[in-house]
Amino acid sequence: MKQDTKKPFDVIIIGGGATGAGTARDCSRRGLNVLLVERFDIATGATGRNHGLLHSGARYAVTDKESAEECIKENMILRKIASHCVEETDGLFLTLPEDDINYQSKFVDACLQARIRAEVIDPKEALRLEPAANPSIIGAVRVPDGAVDPFRLTSSNIMDAKEHGATILTYHEVLEFLREQNRIIGIKVLNHRTKEIQEYYAPVVVNAGGIWGHNLAKLAGVNINMLPAKGALLIFGHRVNNIVLNRCRKPADADILVPGDTICLIGTTSSKVPFEEIDNMQVTPEEVDLLLREGEKLSPLLAQTRILRAYAGVRPLVASDNDPSGRSVSRGIVLLDHAVRDGLEGFVTITGGKLMTYRLMAEWTTDLVCKKLNVNVKCDTAEEKLPGSREEESEITKKIISIPKTQRNATIGRHGDRAERLANNTSLDNSLVCECEEVSVGEVKYALNELDVHNLVDLRRRTRVGMGTCQGELCACRAAGLMTSMHKYCTRRAKEDLASFLNERWKGMAPIAWGDTLRESEYTTWVYESICGLTLSQKQEE
Amino acid sequence: MKFDTLIIGGGLAGLVCGIYLQKHGQRCVIVSSGQSALHFSSGSFDLLNYLPDGTPVERPFEVIGALKQQSPRHPYAKLGEDRFKELSNCVVDFLAEAGVQVVGNPEQNHYRVTPMGTLKPTWLTFKEQVVCEQEDKLPWKKIALFNITGFLDFYSRFIIDEFQRLGTECVLHEISFPAVEGLRQNPTEMRSVNIARLFDKQENLDELVRALKTVETDCEVIVLPAIAGLSRDNVLTYLEERVNKKVCLLPTLPPSVPGIRAQQQMRKAFERLGGVYMLGDTVLKADREGNSVVRVYSYNHGDIPFMMKNVVLATGSYFSQGLIAVPDKVYEPVLNLDVDFIANRKEWYDMNVFAPQAYEAFGVKTDDDFRGISQGQVLDNVYVIGSILEGFNAIKQGCGAGVSILSALYVAKRILSK
Repeated sequence: MKQDTKKPFDVIIIGGGATGAGTARDCSRRGLNVLLVERFDIATGATGRNHGLLHSGARYAVTDKESAEECIKENMILRKIASHCVEETDGLFLTLPEDDINYQSKFVDACLQARIRAEVIDPKEALRLEPAANPSIIGAVRVPDGAVDPFRLTSSNIMDAKEHGATILTYHEVLEFLREQNRIIGIKVLNHRTKEIQEYYAPVVVNAGGIWGHNLAKLAGVNINMLPAKGALLIFGHRVNNIVLNRCRKPADADILVPGDTICLIGTTSSKVPFEEIDNMQVTPEEVDLLLREGEKLSPLLAQTRILRAYAGVRPLVASDNDPSGRSVSRGIVLLDHAVRDGLEGFVTITGGKLMTYRLMAEWTTDLVCKKLNVNVKCDTAEEKLPGSREEESEITKKIISIPKTQRNATIGRHGDRAERLANNTSLDNSLVCECEEVSVGEVKYALNELDVHNLVDLRRRTRVGMGTCQGELCACRAAGLMTSMHKYCTRRAKEDLASFLNERWKGMAPIAWGDTLRESEYTTWVYESICGLTLSQKQEE
Repeated sequence: MKFDTLIIGGGLAGLVCGIYLQKHGQRCVIVSSGQSALHFSSGSFDLLNYLPDGTPVERPFEVIGALKQQSPRHPYAKLGEDRFKELSNCVVDFLAEAGVQVVGNPEQNHYRVTPMGTLKPTWLTFKEQVVCEQEDKLPWKKIALFNITGFLDFYSRFIIDEFQRLGTECVLHEISFPAVEGLRQNPTEMRSVNIARLFDKQENLDELVRALKTVETDCEVIVLPAIAGLSRDNVLTYLEERVNKKVCLLPTLPPSVPGIRAQQQMRKAFERLGGVYMLGDTVLKADREGNSVVRVYSYNHGDIPFMMKNVVLATGSYFSQGLIAVPDKVYEPVLNLDVDFIANRKEWYDMNVFAPQAYEAFGVKTDDDFRGISQGQVLDNVYVIGSILEGFNAIKQGCGAGVSILSALYVAKRILSK
């Protein structure tokens, strides 16, 4: 690793979610020397555990005008700068017979006030546009919702930051803040891969740890009252709908169905959880039942659709500073300058907000960091396109025309213009590792060589290996074999990694393991335990 | 359609049962909906590797008493120690007659090599494959390992490392030739069965011979992934005679070429004996009179029923859809037999995927004669065999194939003695 520990960084960002990655991008584009540290891999917290909904803001229009306005602005920006992460599906807000139809006009008014295009359409027309919608709807409004891939979005931000000189350290956990009197001057981190402890210095440290920012702040000696709110979701095995489906009512549980890639997602539930649970969210049978019950109201087809996984994320809800009870929470962006708030210099916390507003959060944070450093450069992240989104699909297609069509389309879908890295693929490279998601040997090699992959789960996030209907049945083993042959790790570690990959997959399958999902699990267990002889001890050796 | 016995399910259990019955004069039909677990075989059949409490088993004959105490409804417990010994002793010869050559001894487990190069205990191994007597030693000091370039379902790196750890030197040779390159043109084609189809052709087999001949003279054995001999007989002998070395196979990830071959051999044996094998049909429902099933209807035959004296249910576990799990129960879809399962879904799983999962041990309830039970009532002419049975965890105890073979043989004998 090429870190110059003597040269201090201008800013250290803690947290590799969308906000941290966005802040790293913005800071580095403004000429700052950036270090980003992340405890696990990028996008492993709330960033990677939500709907992947490109909110139009309509959902918040009635209850939270400010958020709604932020959403629609960012929505339009992301379509432009992150086109390879975004799918322009549009959204429908459906009124069911059990819902109050009068809410619709209130909803449309609020949308228009927030400058969100909202068009009332005939239910018949809505069903023609989206045949998967519940046929008994009595009202429909069309809004500019969409789908966004949070992994890709975060990864592109990281790529751009790196290309502007940022240092990104994944699997580095903050153990301690380094202080000088009333000033944070750096961090002490543990490298989870080498078990080494290192110190890094910078005049400003940004806490972008999401819900984990609560404990980071505590570690720095300041108090932020955050409330972990668990949101559970279900992923279905194929794409039931092509337009985002919402319920036209006050926001409630399980009322958004979002299509994405080859799947669709229903969510979320919302429940407060204790901090002890935030590292190990498990979806309960009750949550599964609720999601299914409500989801089927949006699209009755879900009743016959195979569920792939259940998972849950934790939103950081931030209690207002003047309300210690925590009842009055904000879903808006919270940027705290701890110098002003707590008299602690060199420390900034960015939290609250949502995936949709990650770029705006990054902009505000970078503005504050720049102010502290007396740097006067304008933000350009709303105009400059992200890596992957800079070329037209037809141009990229030309460059990699020799790759078989379905594979080519899948690769462009995942990597946008970066798919050109596969232009020199041989037929050996075109061989498929994962049939469900059309991931080739060449794509795996690209991810291993250029995208900071340290294990199979990292690889999954970047390529979708193991995310299809089989959930890693054979591809996980093949990918481990490839990682070994490329000397990414030794065979003993490969087996441990394989074991933890399978355990990670199982965690999302167990809550919904019946029907075909259980068949698949039984088969996977058979392949890995009986045929390959992978055992519990491999997992324990870790 | 009148038969003595209708067997539902054409996997290992169904075929063993059918062959035995047919050999002893019965007229049988096997209805099979498609692939069976043999298509995903490890290349070996396990008898018993662990007791339910996790104690490793080296000598299966010595622990049936303990097994019975720990799991009274285990199929082996229902057989009892004497029958368990008697049945398992005759399996090698039985399979050989059915065209499946295996080596092994039920009194003492041997070790097989997994596709990742580790050794696992087992009972019977296909004769072409590597067999070890000890768990920490291979029978050779120096091996030449061959793989097809770009074949991702065989882990040469893992195998070399494991073999080295066991004190055996292993040199890798990657081979390719025009026919293999042809396969590579389609990204999904480089899989075991497709490669094996290549080697069913003489000219490609001779290419293989040429490649194997380049090997160093001081290696004791040539080891290949199990990608030859799908429908061609005596492939290894052919190779051995030409390269003047012993040649052995190691299993690959599924699909399993030797497993598919075994399935084909057994089906042929069954049909040679006069049995009727209906592939691609599915049994839909059955009519009962009293405690007997008298007519069975299938998808392909519509309202023309199967009529038979006995029904044997060998439809497998969840994967083969012998058992169906829905959010609140596990049921048996063909005859709606009683299933042993836990009502609370939370208790079906352990969050560690490698821990024993309760669902793995759910299965169809039977009496000690393996007769099925419907709403508490034992059925007179319905027998249940193989992995659909209650009372055991095939993966954790390493006893799946043993249960299939022994329950099939027992039920066949039981039917004949009626």
